[in-house]
Amino acid sequence: MVRITFILAAWAFIVAAVLARSSYIEARLLRADPASIPGDAMLSGFGRERGAVLFEGHCAICHGDAGRGDSRRGIPDLTDDDWLYGSGSVSSIEQIIKYGIRSYHPRGWNIASMPAYATVQASARDGRIPSLSPGNIRDLAEFLVREQGLHADDAAAARGAALFSGAAGCYDCHAPDAKGDSAIGAPNLTDRITLYGDGSRESMAMSIAYGRHGMCPAWVRRLAPAGIREAAIYVYSLSHTAGAE
Amino acid sequence: MGCGALAGLIMAGYSLFTARGTSTLAVPPEDVALVNQQPISRSDYLLQLQTLYGVDLAHATAAQRRKVLDDMIREELFVQRGKELDVASSDPDVRAAMVGSVELEIAADALTSQPSEAQLHAYYEAHRPRYASEGIVTLRDHVFAAGESGAGSPSVKAIDEEFYFAAKIHMGESLFDAARKLPDGGVSDPIVRPDGIHVLHMIKNEKPVAFDFAAARDRVLSDYRNEAIGHLRTGDEAFLRKRANVLIADDVL
Repeated sequence: MVRITFILAAWAFIVAAVLARSSYIEARLLRADPASIPGDAMLSGFGRERGAVLFEGHCAICHGDAGRGDSRRGIPDLTDDDWLYGSGSVSSIEQIIKYGIRSYHPRGWNIASMPAYATVQASARDGRIPSLSPGNIRDLAEFLVREQGLHADDAAAARGAALFSGAAGCYDCHAPDAKGDSAIGAPNLTDRITLYGDGSRESMAMSIAYGRHGMCPAWVRRLAPAGIREAAIYVYSLSHTAGAE
Repeated sequence: MGCGALAGLIMAGYSLFTARGTSTLAVPPEDVALVNQQPISRSDYLLQLQTLYGVDLAHATAAQRRKVLDDMIREELFVQRGKELDVASSDPDVRAAMVGSVELEIAADALTSQPSEAQLHAYYEAHRPRYASEGIVTLRDHVFAAGESGAGSPSVKAIDEEFYFAAKIHMGESLFDAARKLPDGGVSDPIVRPDGIHVLHMIKNEKPVAFDFAAARDRVLSDYRNEAIGHLRTGDEAFLRKRANVLIADDVL
């Protein structure tokens, strides 16, 4: 009887000690400056381990087990260093996980929504954005092909350039130089990193014609603050070598 | 037995004094401040610092940190005071913002669950006509003035490579409905309209092409979610009405 009591008590102490240690590290993780976490081996390792579990349970269904995304579905690759929203820092990623993208959460990244120029109302939010003709859309695609340094029809590209910086209003989100704006999630159209499709004229025309409205949920009410930070650390680690910063 | 009891007490005490929402002794690690036990989130504080000064925590001066924290504390105090004063009962802007926020919360909650591929396929099959390319027409609309009986040249209106929706706007619904049925090279019967007799000559009619599921998936997912949000909002409103005590004056309805 004494022996059983001793074993139970010892077990209780061990469990308490493990829980206390985890809570202590978690508290340190939350209080730490997010920018410093990747350089702290203990915190980043703890965060990555827990974040991996959360990622598998909540994020992998869209982003894939390895976080490589799917361009057929507009799911971004989290393993590269191209960030559509924010700077790719732990705190930026944390904000995205917390409040989402086009998630309906008032604090989410909700501004950027690619209009559907081949519809009667190109943008539900801004009635000033005009519909475009099939020829206009082809010209815009040709302009983007040229901006990516590929061979393009000069006349069509010139017409597309005029539309881009004029009537179509593309410059307003994608910037006059078409290099995008990570402050609102407008992609750089001059590189060859594509969120949707294979970068061909047809896939670009498809995006211009029918719009794109990919979404990342807001997890603020589903995950605890520690879980959100841990998931952010894990996602950050996918695009960085372990512990290096 | 005594040791086990002691261990249990230690664990219970630790949980009691550190559980979220019950702590009165310290600011939880995920927050930077508590204002009457209402938390100011650490991550929101960092975002505010970045937004206001363009710096992260490591590069923020003490004055900057103090300013942002003071602003956030002030905001929380005024929000709490607003609740005490029940400003929502009198300020239409606050009421509208609250309604919008609750609707957004309902939608945000709905979006954390991902539909299965089978559900999306079923939705796609049930709404197939939606997921097709927009047709494109190039035609000539020959308009004869009424009463000329074919004498004189008609006026010719050109529709050059326009999407169906644009052609419909430019031609009017009845003419467009006649036009969309024409094959390439086809000519319509004379169509009498108030402005004359129209004869449509279809040059090229690219009819809508159905998207396969892979091509349409992006829009299918968006439509599926929007419909789910609509159902949730309707359901929430029904629930709120059901549990509410709503009295309506006899002379209103």
